Amino acid sequence: MDLKYVGKNIKRPDAVKKATGKAIYLDDIQLPGMLYAAILRPDFAHAKILSIDTSEAEKGEGVVKVVTGKGCDFRYGDNIRDLVPMAIDKVRYIGEPVAAVIATSKHLAKQAVKKIKVEYEPLPVYTDALAAMEKGAALIHENSGDYWHLPGLGPKPGTNIANHYFLKKGDVEKGFAEAEITVEGEFVYPFGSCAAIEPHGSIAWFHEDKTIELWSSSICPFIIREELARVYKLPESDVRVHIPELGGCFGYKSDITVEQTIAWIASFVPGHPVKWVASRKEDFLSTLLGHGMRVRMKVGAKKDGKLTALRTTVYHSTGAYSDTGVHVSIAAGHNSAGTYEFPNIHQDSFLVYTNTPPVGAFRGYGHQEGQFAIERLMDILARKLQMTPFELRSKNYLRPGTTSSLGERMYVSSGDVTKCAAIVQKAVYGHEKPKEDDKYWYGRGFAALTKTPKGAPHSSKSCYLKFNGDGSVSINMGGAEVGQGLRNVVRLIAAETLKIPPERIRVYTEIDTQFSPWEWQTIGSMFTLQGGGAVVKACQRAIAMFKKTAAQVLRVEEEMLDYDGEHVFLKNDPAMKIEVHRLTRGYMYENGMTAGEVVHTTSDMRLPRYSGPDPATGQGTMGVSYTFGAQGCEIRIEKATGKVIIDHFASSFDVGRVISPEQIRGQIAGGVMMGIGATLYEEVKFDKDGKGLNPHYSKYRFPNIKDAPKKQTIECVETPEAIGPYGARGIGEHPVIGVAPSILNAIQDAIGVEFFEIPVTPEKILAAVAAKGSGKPGQAGKSGK
Amino acid sequence: MAETITFKVNGETKTVSLEGHEKLLEILRDKLSLTGTKCGCDDASCGACTVVVNGEAKKSCVFPQAKLAGAEVTTIEGLAGKAGELHPIQQAMIDGGAVQCGYCIPGIVMELHGLFSKNPDAGHDEITEALSRHFCRCTGYEAIMASALLAQKYLKEGKGGKKS
Repeated sequence: MDLKYVGKNIKRPDAVKKATGKAIYLDDIQLPGMLYAAILRPDFAHAKILSIDTSEAEKGEGVVKVVTGKGCDFRYGDNIRDLVPMAIDKVRYIGEPVAAVIATSKHLAKQAVKKIKVEYEPLPVYTDALAAMEKGAALIHENSGDYWHLPGLGPKPGTNIANHYFLKKGDVEKGFAEAEITVEGEFVYPFGSCAAIEPHGSIAWFHEDKTIELWSSSICPFIIREELARVYKLPESDVRVHIPELGGCFGYKSDITVEQTIAWIASFVPGHPVKWVASRKEDFLSTLLGHGMRVRMKVGAKKDGKLTALRTTVYHSTGAYSDTGVHVSIAAGHNSAGTYEFPNIHQDSFLVYTNTPPVGAFRGYGHQEGQFAIERLMDILARKLQMTPFELRSKNYLRPGTTSSLGERMYVSSGDVTKCAAIVQKAVYGHEKPKEDDKYWYGRGFAALTKTPKGAPHSSKSCYLKFNGDGSVSINMGGAEVGQGLRNVVRLIAAETLKIPPERIRVYTEIDTQFSPWEWQTIGSMFTLQGGGAVVKACQRAIAMFKKTAAQVLRVEEEMLDYDGEHVFLKNDPAMKIEVHRLTRGYMYENGMTAGEVVHTTSDMRLPRYSGPDPATGQGTMGVSYTFGAQGCEIRIEKATGKVIIDHFASSFDVGRVISPEQIRGQIAGGVMMGIGATLYEEVKFDKDGKGLNPHYSKYRFPNIKDAPKKQTIECVETPEAIGPYGARGIGEHPVIGVAPSILNAIQDAIGVEFFEIPVTPEKILAAVAAKGSGKPGQAGKSGK
Repeated sequence: MAETITFKVNGETKTVSLEGHEKLLEILRDKLSLTGTKCGCDDASCGACTVVVNGEAKKSCVFPQAKLAGAEVTTIEGLAGKAGELHPIQQAMIDGGAVQCGYCIPGIVMELHGLFSKNPDAGHDEITEALSRHFCRCTGYEAIMASALLAQKYLKEGKGGKKS
């Protein structure tokens, strides 16, 4: 395919505004009469609220109103409706909103909120799924059986289990009976924070005409609109949601979370916009966390390395509310088979209420956690079988003709994991490993990976395309630009399809549900595939409209015409032509008569055949499009300190088609760094009472430039995706998936210690090396048989 | 109690009235509507709020009122030319592909402005040290380092915001 714009480095349209400080993020917005909210958080992670005394706070300077959850008669959520905007009779986690002060300034609101007095009766606290699942554990949601939920999902009443998903493929007992060798382990992916540099926040405004207007640093304007309309009993068209520039997302600004809280607060002061922006502490403890997952896995294989069976059990500490975590644990389950064909699988995912902040998406829905386990076990199995990690994996890769855990058949157009693996193998293993010296141990590690979009059966992305009178183009979509560069993807795909320079195409700068076309939410690495597909369709429709009008003017059949971006012309006589800009608002004859229509089009794209899981098997068309990749690294471990230094990190993904080389490199390099943070440094910690121990950047150990790999190899494979625009697939979430297993595999290579939990801090390495030196087994973590 | 403070911002003398609790960050954003300077944390860790005060890159979220009287402050809004031409460091951030979500960029630009104004020949280690005071969640720092080196080159070549 000869492409003019797709695959070229053309500067993103938002770069100048961002580099000059003129891009408008949520906290930069000032509205007339604006008030500010400060929110009280509880002293206990699980407690009954006995009383709330707001009288002193109400007397505070500048205080307009003090708000509690009293009188709130609704729950919200779009999967399992268990969320409340503000605690009503009990608190379930340490970051939960208990009460709020609305005041004339941020400072005065914060001052007054300290004066609210609350009496609590503490209840037992569970910070881990296993403890909350124990018989006799206190219930975090006493009436969970009453919650509305999507079909096929939902809590088990009388327990803390918020959902149980299972998947069956083949006969797992038979598979293990056939196995000649088994390996197993328990793997822990702790709580993390997406920790975007811009904290989450919202502005809500209940107008006197009963409409609601809301601004949020969210990627889900339409879900917010639908949920606000539902709980405040308004037509969706009377709720207007704006999304300004976003200072990063990575998952935790998806779904509807703080927006309902700020709307609840603002509903008490109609006529006034109310702004709230999370402090960093609130961003850690009062928005969504990531992960919190324990994965038990057992793999069976023949002596020749052919895999026979996989059993996975996921225990997901989803936090105090489960609405945002349910799909994370489901996807962690069915993705735990990784890039391999297992004939027999049994998989359970237990989503469990705990007294910790709710978990949501974190650069994927469970893809990192499940594949962390399988990629560690593949290395362990390879060593037992005395095979190289490449040989064992290669015998079992999902290739054309195989079926995934979900029962989906693989085609050539699904992508090629073997090519990605070969690229990484060459980059990392194509030369000798340095020999151990006085200062360092050296190691190399590898992991293969896969990711599918994460959607809902109705998830769609839409495009409005408008030709202007001069032939320039305006495109409006609902895709949230969080930094990933999707506006440039839209522009490049439109330029290619319309055959006009990207400079003639202006892409939307904000989302406004009053004007933007519907989009489910910008999640799951789906925008390039789906949004790009919608753009191609809209462009093709515009071209068809040009031809239709031109056919009337030239008095020929539409089929006889062609379009080259500047003209519509007769195929067999190109001199017979009309300039495109003369057709954009219909064609006008010299006498002023007009023909044809104004050229503006709409389109949408869904994931074809996408379905929910079959209740009998847990399988279904829940992948649709697969992206494969491989990652590997060369590391050094400093003997004196236990510090892991990443000398070289290599990534290869079969992205189908590179739309913007510079942006794809930026996505991958950034994802790798995020994965390194999770692997070596980051963990949101709680004490036994559920209190956050490190909800600040200085204590969370956020990676900085000194932690970056010394060198990154990034190379993409391009096996076209049948349904992708120009063959493209998504890449946003994938680069984090193979990082933890490849680094832990490299640590094993360097010091002979198997780690099963992250983060692997220098202290843990020193302790493991010391234990090994004293003759104890070379293992660290929960288990590994 | 309200009192006033006078200092220079981006070459203009400003007098603002204060309640007493504000740090420089709040004065810039809330009193002077200079919202290009960003807030990302609550313990002076992320560097998003960095501005240049009397020639030095400083975190405005902890810069006290007491040291502000008579100071000369430059923010991200003060870098581009009067005709809107980009500062070479801004141009380098764009050309080097450092801009993703963009929230950390003003702070990084101001850090580099402080560094290169004092030491145009800053070496790799010195640049790394300066950038280590800034968090970025998007880029993995690769493009930020490349853009910093490009900025140094643009500044030396006197490329006033023109692409090379």
